[in-house]
Amino acid sequence: MSEKNKAYRMADGYDALSANESAERWSVFEGFHPLLNYLYFAYVVIVTVFFLHPVLLAISFASASAWSVRLGGAKALRFGLIFVLPLMLVATALNPVFNHEGVTILGYLMDNPITLESILYGVCAALMIGGVILWFRCYTSVMSSDKFIYLFGRVAPAASLIISMTLRFIPRYVEQAGRIASARRGLGFDVSSGGFAQRVKNGGEVLSIMITWALENAVDTADSMRSRGYGLPGRTAYSIYRFDARDGALLLVLCALTTIVCVSIFSGTVNMGFFPLFSMNATSAPALVAYVCHAVVCLSPFALDVGEDFVWRSLQSRI
Amino acid sequence: MALVAVKNLSFTYPERTEAALRDISFTADRGEFVVVCGKSGCGKSTLLRHLKTALTPYGERAGAVFFDGRPLSEVDQREQTSRIGFVLQSPENQIVTDKVWHELAFGLESLGEKTPVVRRRVAEMTSFFGIQEWYDKKVTELSGGQKQILSLASVMAMQPDVLVLDEPTSQLDPIAAEDFIETLKKINDEIGVTIILSEHRLEGALPRADRAVCMAEGRVICEGSVTGVGRALEGMGDPMLSAMPAPMRVYLALEGAGHEGSAGSADDSIVADVPKTVREGRIYLERKVGANRAKEAVIFRPDRAAPLIAIKDTETISSRPDGVEPFIAMKDVWFRYERGGRDIVRDLSFTLKGGEFVCIVGGNGTGKTTMLGIVTGANGYWRGKARVLGLDPKKATVRQLSQAGLAALPQDPQTLFTRNTIFDNLVDVAAAHGKSASSEEIEEEVRRVCELTDITDLVGFHPYDVSGGEQQRSGLAMALLARPKLLLLDEPTKGMDNFFKEKFAAILERLAADGMGVLMVSHDVEFCAKYAERCALFFNGGIVSEGEPREFFSGNSFYTTSANRMSRGIIEGATTAEEIVEYIKTM
Repeated sequence: MSEKNKAYRMADGYDALSANESAERWSVFEGFHPLLNYLYFAYVVIVTVFFLHPVLLAISFASASAWSVRLGGAKALRFGLIFVLPLMLVATALNPVFNHEGVTILGYLMDNPITLESILYGVCAALMIGGVILWFRCYTSVMSSDKFIYLFGRVAPAASLIISMTLRFIPRYVEQAGRIASARRGLGFDVSSGGFAQRVKNGGEVLSIMITWALENAVDTADSMRSRGYGLPGRTAYSIYRFDARDGALLLVLCALTTIVCVSIFSGTVNMGFFPLFSMNATSAPALVAYVCHAVVCLSPFALDVGEDFVWRSLQSRI
Repeated sequence: MALVAVKNLSFTYPERTEAALRDISFTADRGEFVVVCGKSGCGKSTLLRHLKTALTPYGERAGAVFFDGRPLSEVDQREQTSRIGFVLQSPENQIVTDKVWHELAFGLESLGEKTPVVRRRVAEMTSFFGIQEWYDKKVTELSGGQKQILSLASVMAMQPDVLVLDEPTSQLDPIAAEDFIETLKKINDEIGVTIILSEHRLEGALPRADRAVCMAEGRVICEGSVTGVGRALEGMGDPMLSAMPAPMRVYLALEGAGHEGSAGSADDSIVADVPKTVREGRIYLERKVGANRAKEAVIFRPDRAAPLIAIKDTETISSRPDGVEPFIAMKDVWFRYERGGRDIVRDLSFTLKGGEFVCIVGGNGTGKTTMLGIVTGANGYWRGKARVLGLDPKKATVRQLSQAGLAALPQDPQTLFTRNTIFDNLVDVAAAHGKSASSEEIEEEVRRVCELTDITDLVGFHPYDVSGGEQQRSGLAMALLARPKLLLLDEPTKGMDNFFKEKFAAILERLAADGMGVLMVSHDVEFCAKYAERCALFFNGGIVSEGEPREFFSGNSFYTTSANRMSRGIIEGATTAEEIVEYIKTM
């Protein structure tokens, strides 16, 4: 849909109609304390990005896929198939074409050796890329700006207010720019037509008045803040989150499991090398323990959701 | 002891010779609901800002403000923050954060309250205002009226003793404005908070107030009970009277200021005084007319009333070329914003000829503004036929439509200005629409339009430095310099006081008399009834009824002027207070 009728659409209040279309499914994990949400994502993303271990990556990728589809439904599935999967295939295919390291030569492509190691490396890199994209998709659905601001606010209260204000202002500015363009059009100034020079001039004019407008309105906002006591010493930061026993329990479990995985990685129990020859740790009992721990961590939000479904269904059936 | 007392306050802004406030004294007792009225630029805002140190403007000051028996300057900031709540005009600008819960907590955070206290206070306020559903929302999801209620709630969370509100409803549509005033009354009644409210929409506020303070040119011209102020204004013949509720105007015009009123006899306590609401007005009118009328309602014959507007001169109407193609011709037009979406405009047929001034009224979200978008070509309809000035708006370019003579004035005139002085903005438009004209000719043209819109004294200012009404006029001047044959206006009377509305109507009438077509979309029923040539009610994407204002509004039962609601069944067909007065006088 074109941008040009945006101002009319807003004025008649129809934006709300389309706003809810992309609503993501609520996850049990969202109900946990933001600190848990944040640490969880930090762990999965860091392990996925910095440790190209095929098994860990496969677990991570599978979990991210499962959870993102659970959260986003058909839309997430479409996103995965149309965007992420092709990207992964390209990454897998390109690596052996440009990377000729490795000793197991499978054949030649235009006089360049294609090696097994580089193919394996490409697969792992693709899993890493796909996994990270999907984890971030889950992240945006679970970590609202409120949560981020809350965590950030613990460290720097002033900064957290600024972020909150920025999140308020950016949509307003975008909206105002649309209104200005529409108003100008009403008087016969078409912002989007004319030569390049004309467009730059039009854009410059709109930008300059936007700045004036922003400053002008900021005076009001400052008044409103001062009127409500901003600047008095001893400002507190209110939050809508509470760290309860359930958060504590989950944090404890996740910490224990992630510690096992990390220790396994740093001690070399779980290890891998791609070049010159691919090598990986043996599937010993300690390595299996690490895999399981990693899987439990990665799958925990998804498992919580599925678990909740069961509880819900059993409650319903009892009624 | 008065909670708030202003004693002999005078104030002059820096670098101005004229004083903004002159020797003002007034008090507000605990629990009182005080309305401060006066036309825009009379110093209402300046006065209210003196009631809280954080908002007091810089300048030369004499006199003093007392709060709870102490000079305001001696009340520390923390106490003022919490005990004096202030709500500003713009719903957008005064909201600071992105989330509703955060906005509600903002003041309490500043006061350093601990989380459990904040949680409780916020919970109390959301329950009191019935806004629990908004709690997790982003503020961008709220409408203007809801934003204003949020600002009120976030101030109330600090548990103030007095609420000061500076024209809080001026940016809202009438229904949202009424809701807001109703909420204020609830706060006043149920919590006992003192309220000092400045307003130009007095229809809703005055009947709920205990006292009114009327200002003009920086002075208090009268102060007292609402009815007392009405009487005093009538006695002075002050133009402020035209902003009073219709029942009051009818009563005062008929009974005079000093007269205690025939309806005010001791046997009827409900109209012991000047009627302020439609209900009281009806009771008064019933008695006034009752004696002289038969069982059926008296039919008010339009020809008895003096023509209210010049444009209704039969001469003007007959001189209109009939055979010429109408300026807007829409037939069975349908429009939706997205594929598979709901039709916002459905089966709309509408015509407008040159020289006509047509108003489209209707509630929020019925698609009125969307329809304007169809006329300007921003919204491409998908079914039906539309011609605007001989062009198909869907296919014509912005330039073609503009050259054919289409100009649109948006709701917010601020969006029109791109240059640093009003004059430059005007010249820009004039130059763009008169390419061959010399610079002298352009300046001449600008000067002429400035005179017409009464902004000659303002052209040197930055457009943001003049008042809202003046911005509106400058915007109108810009639209006129586009040499339109067809002028579209979106909610132009929002934020205008009654005095300028009259002036504005006069300008529109003159333009229409010159053959311009004017299409206005508005919530302002009173304005449309008084000045439009034809009114149409928009509902569910189409026009459901259409007609000359008198027949149109007397055909509606609820969506009509308060004068019509007041006289319905007693005097049929009257839509304005003037008409009621006119009728009774000739009776």
